[in-house]
Amino acid sequence: MRKIEKSKKIGTISAVMLTLSIVVSYVTSSLPRAFINETKSATLLNIIYITAIVLFIILLFCRLIQKFPGLDLLDISYFLGGNLLKNIVGSCFIFYFVVSSGLMLRNFCEGLVVVYYPLTSYIFVILMFIVAIAFVNKLGFNSTLNTAAIVFPLVLISIILLFCGNLGNFSFRRIYPVLGDGFYNTFILGLKNIGAFGGICYLYFIPSMLKDPSKLKKIAVISVISTGLFIFLCVATLLFMFSFFINADEIMPLFSAARYIEFGSFFQRFESVFLLIWIISFGCYLSISCKFSTHIFNKMFKLSDMKPILNIFLILIFAISIFPKNYASSNFFEIHIYRYLRIAIGFILGMTILILANLKKKKVGDKN
Amino acid sequence: MKIKNIINNVFKYTPNKTYNFTLPDIPRDSDNNSYNNEKSNKSQKIYTSISVNLDYIKTKYNLLINSDIISREFILNAKGKQYKALLLHIDGMVDSQILNDFVLEPLMMRNKNNLFDGEQNRVISEAITNNITVRKVKKFNLADYIENCLIPQNNIKQTDSFDEIFSGVNAGNCALFVDTLGIGFDIDIKGFKQRSIDKPENEVVIKGAHEAFVENIRTNTSLLRRFTNNENLVIENLEVGDITKTKCAVCYMQNIANSDLVAEVKYRINNLDIDSLLSVGQLEQLISDNNSLGLPKAISTERPDNAVQHILEGRVVVLVNGSPFALILPAIMIDFLTSPEDRNLKSIFANFLRGIRILAAFFSLLLPGIYVSVTSFHIEILPTELLYSILAARESVPFPIIFEILIMEISFEIIREASLRVPSPIGSTIGIVGGLVVGQAAVSAGIVSPILIIIVAITALSSFAIPDYSFSFHLRVFRFLFIFLGYIAGFLGIGIGLLVYLSIICDMESFGVSYSLPYSSMENLKNIGILLPPIWKREFRASYLATKKNRKQDDISMHWKFNKG
Repeated sequence: MRKIEKSKKIGTISAVMLTLSIVVSYVTSSLPRAFINETKSATLLNIIYITAIVLFIILLFCRLIQKFPGLDLLDISYFLGGNLLKNIVGSCFIFYFVVSSGLMLRNFCEGLVVVYYPLTSYIFVILMFIVAIAFVNKLGFNSTLNTAAIVFPLVLISIILLFCGNLGNFSFRRIYPVLGDGFYNTFILGLKNIGAFGGICYLYFIPSMLKDPSKLKKIAVISVISTGLFIFLCVATLLFMFSFFINADEIMPLFSAARYIEFGSFFQRFESVFLLIWIISFGCYLSISCKFSTHIFNKMFKLSDMKPILNIFLILIFAISIFPKNYASSNFFEIHIYRYLRIAIGFILGMTILILANLKKKKVGDKN
Repeated sequence: MKIKNIINNVFKYTPNKTYNFTLPDIPRDSDNNSYNNEKSNKSQKIYTSISVNLDYIKTKYNLLINSDIISREFILNAKGKQYKALLLHIDGMVDSQILNDFVLEPLMMRNKNNLFDGEQNRVISEAITNNITVRKVKKFNLADYIENCLIPQNNIKQTDSFDEIFSGVNAGNCALFVDTLGIGFDIDIKGFKQRSIDKPENEVVIKGAHEAFVENIRTNTSLLRRFTNNENLVIENLEVGDITKTKCAVCYMQNIANSDLVAEVKYRINNLDIDSLLSVGQLEQLISDNNSLGLPKAISTERPDNAVQHILEGRVVVLVNGSPFALILPAIMIDFLTSPEDRNLKSIFANFLRGIRILAAFFSLLLPGIYVSVTSFHIEILPTELLYSILAARESVPFPIIFEILIMEISFEIIREASLRVPSPIGSTIGIVGGLVVGQAAVSAGIVSPILIIIVAITALSSFAIPDYSFSFHLRVFRFLFIFLGYIAGFLGIGIGLLVYLSIICDMESFGVSYSLPYSSMENLKNIGILLPPIWKREFRASYLATKKNRKQDDISMHWKFNKG
C-alpha cells in the first residue's frame, strides 16, 4: 500500500489558538475573581505589569531555546541530564497538566451545577465532559487545535459582546485607588498572578510540532500579548461592573456579568448562549491537556501509538476532579496550591532547564 | 464464540491501521504519471484457429442461452484468398447499418481490382550504392491489410487478448476474428440508444449553461473537452469492477493539477477490488478517506460547466460510465454550501446567498435541539411575553417536549420520503397535504403546539436550502442527535455534542485536504472560500490544492479599464 506520512505539524495561528484556549478555560471559571481578590482596584495595572514580565520571560525563553532549534523541553532535558532528567521533567509536566485539568474541570462543572443543574450531581456533568473528550481523543492531534481555532473567535466575540453590552453598567471609578492595596500588594504579592499565563507552558512542547520552528518567537510573543489583552478585557468587565466584595463571591464571575446585559425585547437574557460557547472551548482545553500529557508520555517511553494510553490520562483527570470533597476544597486547592504549582512547574522548572542546558551547550561548545 | 475470543476482541491491543495521504504544500516538479493498472491476472490469448476461438466465445458468453449475443461466421476475401472469419457483437448495442455497410460488405466482397497475389514482398524503398541495390521490403501482413485496406472504420484496434475484445464487445463494439490470425479486431460501431444532452434537473442556474451530463461517458468527456477547449486537459480511462469493468475517466489539467493528487485518485480507483460499479455514488464511498458522520467527501455535479470550473481550479474530476454525474475531488465543507450559480452572480449577492445557506445549515442541524434546550433548561433567554405564549400553547399538549418534537420531525421525514416515492405529479400534493393538513390537525388535536410547527417548518425549509443532497441528508440525520442531547442537558449537551462534532469534522480530510478549511488553520491560504471575491480579484487558485500554477489571472485583469504598471 502506498502510504504518505500525514503532516501533523502545527501552524502559527493554531499554536497561538492553543495557548489562548488554555486561558479561556481559566478566565471562564475563576481566574478574574482571583485577580480582583489579590489586587483589588489595581487589577488592570497588575495585568499590564504581569504581561510585561511574562513577555520578558518569553523573550528570554525564545533566546534560550534558539540554540536548540526544533527541540522541545524533553529533548533539551535529555541533552542536559539524560533519560533520568527527561523522565523527571516529563512526569512533572504530566502531573501539572493532569492536575490542572482535573481541578479546572471540577470548578467549571460546579459552576454549571450551581447555575443550571441544581438537582444534578456534579459527577454526571463531569462524566459528560469525560465521555466527550474520550471521543475527541480518538481523533488526530490537530483536530482539537483546529476546533480551538474555530471556537476561539466565537469566544472572543462573546467576551467583546459582554464588555460592550455591559458598558451601561460600568462604573469606571472602580479603578481608584489606582494602586489598590498599595505598591507591595500590586507589584510584589501580585506576582502570583503570573500563573494566569499558564498556557505558555504548552509552548515548551510545541517546537518539535511546528511547521516552521523559526516562527516560535512570533508565536510566543503574539500568544503572550493576546492572552494579556484577553484577560484585561475580561477582568475590566468584572472590575467595572461589580464591587470587589461581590466579585469575591461569584462562582462564575463572567457568567454573572452576562446576566446583566440587556438585548432589547427579542432576547431576555443571553448568558446561556455564552455558556454554550465557553463549554466548547473548555472541552478543547481538556482535550489539549490530555493530548499533551499523552504526547509527553509517548516521548518519555518512546511509544509509537498513543491509542492505548490516551484514556488513562482521562481517567486520571476524572479521578482528580472528584477528589476534592466540595467546591470550597477544590477552590482552596486552586487558590493556595495549584497556582503556585503553575508557577513552579510552568515557569521556574522550564526556564531553569533551559538556562542550564544553554550553559552546558556553551561549555561543550567551548571544549570542542 | 469462545469467551477467550470475546475478551481478546474487547481488550486486545490493535495497532492503528489508518491510511494517510496529505497534499504537499509545494507541488513536486516531476510528474509521476507512471500509474497503471497493476492487475496481474493473465488474460486468455486469442487462438489462431477460428473454431477454437468460437468454442471459447461460446463458453464465455453462454451463446446457447444468451439471445442477444450474435456470432456471425463468414468467408473473408483478402488478396484473392479466402479465410474463415467470425464477427461477434451484441444485438441492440451496435449500429446494424454501419455493421452491414462498412464491416461485412468490404470484408465479404471480392476485391476485383487487386492483382497482388499476396505472396510477393512489397518494396517500400530502394537505393543503389556502389552498384549494389538495397531494397527495403515489407512482408505481407494480413492483419495490417484488413485494418488498413478492408475496414473503413476510424476506430479499430488489434489485440491478442480476449479480455480486451470482450470489454469492447460489452461496450457496444464488434469483434472480428480471422482464421490463422492470433489476434482479433475491436471495431467501434456503437449504436445503442441513449439519452440526449438535456437541461440539468437538480442544479438549475439562471445565467449559466443549460447542459447536463448524460449516461454515456464519451458524451460526457466531449462536453468537458468542449468547455475546457485546451490541449492540457487529460482524460485517462480506468476500469473498475471485475464483472462490469465499468469505464471511469479521470480528468484533470496536466499543467495545473497537483501530480500527487492525480496519482492518488488513480491509485485509489485502480486498487478497488469489487465486482461491479454502477454509479458515481458508489465510487465516492469507495474512494473516500473515511465515511464518518456520513458527510460527503466529493462534490457530485451534473453540470459540465461546474466540473470544468473545478478542473481549471486544479481539482480532479472522475466520470463513471452509466452515471450522469461527475465526482469532483477533493472537496471541503464549504463546497457543499456553494451553488454553481454563485460564480455567475456579483460577489455581494453570492456572499449573501452563501451566508444564508450557512445559516440554513445551522438551523437545519441545531434549531430543534436549541428549541428543546431553551424550553427545558434555558427559558431565561426568551422574553417574558413570548415565554407565556409558548407555555400557553403547550398547556393543552399532554406529551413531553421531546416526544412532541420527535412526532413532528419523524412525520415530516415520512412526508418527504413519501413525496419522493410517488409519481411526481402527486408528489407536491402530498407535500402540501402532509405539511398543512397534518400539521393543522395535529395542533387542533392537541398533540403538538403551534410554535413547534413553526420550528419544524423552518428546519425543513432550511434543509431544502442546502445545495448538496448528501450534505442535507447528513444534517437531517444528525439533527436528531442534537435534539436528544438538548433534552438531556440543554446547552451543556449541545455544547458537548458540538465539541465532538466539530472535532470530527476538523479531523476529516478529503484527498489530503483538511475538510474544515477555510474555517480552521487559516494561514498562508489564498482564495480559500471564506468569501467569494469579485471576479477581477480571483487571482489565485485555492492554495490548499497545491496546484502547479497558483495564479489564474493577472493582478489587473481588466486592462481595458486600468493600465498595468
